[in-house]
Amino acid sequence: MSQDALTRPQAVREPRFNMRQADSILGYLLVAPLVICILMLVVYPFVFAIWISFTDRVIGGGGNFIGLANYAYLFQQNSFQQTVRNTIVLVFAVQTIKLIVGLGLAVLLNQEIRFRQFWRGLILLPWAMPGFVAFITWKLLYAPQGGAFNYILINLGLVSSHVDFLSTRELALPSVVVALVWRGFPFWVISFLAALQTVPRELYEAAALDGANAWQRFRNVSLPGIRHVVLVVVLVSTIWTTNSFEAIFLMTQGGPSNATMTFPMLSYFSLQSLRIGEGAAVGVAMLPVFSALAFVVAVLLQRDE
Amino acid sequence: MHTRKFLFKSSFRLTILLLAMLVLLPNIVVAQSDTFTYWGGLIFSDEANSMFEARIKEWGEMKGIPVEVVMINQNETVQRVSAAIEAGTLPDALDLGWGFMLLLSQNDQLVALNDLYTEIGDAHGGWLDSINSLMTSDEFGGSIYGVPYAASGMNVLYRRYDVLSAAGFEDAPATWEEAADQSRAAQSPPETYGMGFALSNVGDGNLTTVMLQSWGGRIADDTGTTCTIDSDETRAFLEWITTAFSDGLFPPGATTWDGAGDNTAYQAGNALFIANPGSVYLNMKDNDPELLEASRFSGLPGGPVMRLVPVDTVIRSIPTTTSPDKQALAADLFQFLADDEFMAAYMNAAIYGPAMQSQVDFPVFTESPVHVGLLDGALNGTPAGFPDVNNAAYAEYGTNFLTPRMIQRIAVDGISIDDAIAETQQACQDIYDKYNTQ
Repeated sequence: MSQDALTRPQAVREPRFNMRQADSILGYLLVAPLVICILMLVVYPFVFAIWISFTDRVIGGGGNFIGLANYAYLFQQNSFQQTVRNTIVLVFAVQTIKLIVGLGLAVLLNQEIRFRQFWRGLILLPWAMPGFVAFITWKLLYAPQGGAFNYILINLGLVSSHVDFLSTRELALPSVVVALVWRGFPFWVISFLAALQTVPRELYEAAALDGANAWQRFRNVSLPGIRHVVLVVVLVSTIWTTNSFEAIFLMTQGGPSNATMTFPMLSYFSLQSLRIGEGAAVGVAMLPVFSALAFVVAVLLQRDE
Repeated sequence: MHTRKFLFKSSFRLTILLLAMLVLLPNIVVAQSDTFTYWGGLIFSDEANSMFEARIKEWGEMKGIPVEVVMINQNETVQRVSAAIEAGTLPDALDLGWGFMLLLSQNDQLVALNDLYTEIGDAHGGWLDSINSLMTSDEFGGSIYGVPYAASGMNVLYRRYDVLSAAGFEDAPATWEEAADQSRAAQSPPETYGMGFALSNVGDGNLTTVMLQSWGGRIADDTGTTCTIDSDETRAFLEWITTAFSDGLFPPGATTWDGAGDNTAYQAGNALFIANPGSVYLNMKDNDPELLEASRFSGLPGGPVMRLVPVDTVIRSIPTTTSPDKQALAADLFQFLADDEFMAAYMNAAIYGPAMQSQVDFPVFTESPVHVGLLDGALNGTPAGFPDVNNAAYAEYGTNFLTPRMIQRIAVDGISIDDAIAETQQACQDIYDKYNTQ
């Protein structure tokens, strides 16, 4: 080996990417598996559902593009108009009551009350119970013959004959609302309670020193402190309630006379005839409402930031 | 500690793996295994379900092939099969109701089994007329898409003989109007109500369509394309049933009952009449002999124009996704399951009527009062849907429960009979038009 070769500096391979580019690629690669999963499990079914809502596809069939025919068919049905009304009333009533009950109980459980841990655990029970069991139980409670509510009302002399909670137009939807509130409020309580515990105690002490009463402390300290959580809980719970199927299916099947018909029930009836395109159209028809709600919540959250 | 290079490589490999899964997954899902899979229809009798499973496993052992029997709640068949079709995971053979078979056959999901149908029928004295007319309906275009194993869906009228006889009614009502009159005289609300028939959005609620037809009403014309709800016959029927409702003959809650509402009302002693294929009888036999003793059974009453006892059938079918080898195995299995000795024991525990001549002589059809009614239905009943054309549009009319909903509109919402008819006529025609344009 010549002296020249020994003394010549070894060629250093130039890196293919500079540090910044390598960071970028690594970043993309790290999120790629998650992005693929989301594409497979969320985006694809979502786009597919929108697509088939524009087709006359039946289960097992290919389906042809029929434009807005499924939507036109839906919108002209009496049951659809009733469904829209019911869904709005149901969701608004359920969410309002859950908000009031949830906030009230969360504030209460955030105080130094006796057996606080026990009450916190107990509150969770309705949420922990399987929905099927919960709603069948509510159906039995409402039963006109042998139902607990009628037994109590008649024995207390409050009514002279049985009350048909689930089979009269006036009472069916409110009865379903009560059952849905009972089943769903623990989530609100626990979320609000967790949020309340993050509000610094010093703020309450400062407010108390300034002479704020309990209501003023709640309004000016607690509520702003948990506002983000309230917005997110409202959004998530609204979506859950709108999509709630088992409560109505188990208690009224959408009746009597469409009095409790909601989007998921309507979609279910379409799918019973294998008309998956029509069923998808029912589901997609809810999309603008959800999108608007998500948009409002996003704007409110951003405004805070 | 992981190096940057390690992270880079791992992420890259995971990404490639997921992409590969994305491409290969559909092929993995539809890959055929050696196991022969059968989806059987779960019925109320545990004994019958166990016998059925054991019989298929016995066949599998004889053939030396692994078998998997999945018993499916019949209320969930549509959902389960629909999901399996979309996912490409249908079983090798399955039990279906006639209406669902019609829908699937129109989407080319089932194998035509004309030869096997004839072969099994001939080996057992021939198919009963009611079953044969269902299976060879014009709707199938000359193909036969399954092998029936029993007559189903036939309701028997249960009545509380103890209460009714005390009120002077010894005999079963011959007409629905008589049933209402007996109810009016014998019921004692709020403890007992006469007419324990569902008026809700469930399958039992479609008995009201049978009532409407027995009043001479029709859902659609003879071509099965134009709805004919708007008729004097429908008006007369609605007049009668809504009067009965407003007179308090139906138990409270009948407009929102689930599928077990009528059964529960009868077994709790709250209803004098119900229509049920046999599950209530089986339950009373095991758990409430006193109520069984107080009950009597008869055929469904008739209307002013005709008496209808719709006969449906339960069928064994083979999906088109089944490989030719397994189609041959399924055909062999169907023959094995049709064996009279097995079916006699099965029918003894189940709540079905006979489908073939050889089954008519099974002892259960003379020994059990409910089975006597089921036999009568199978022999003298009318094909489901009759006098209407039992096509896909008629099936969708049923799955949307338009007749009970029409009654609910009057009974619950208080709209006029004419308005309810006009509304239902339109909704019905909308359904039929979807099929007319296909």
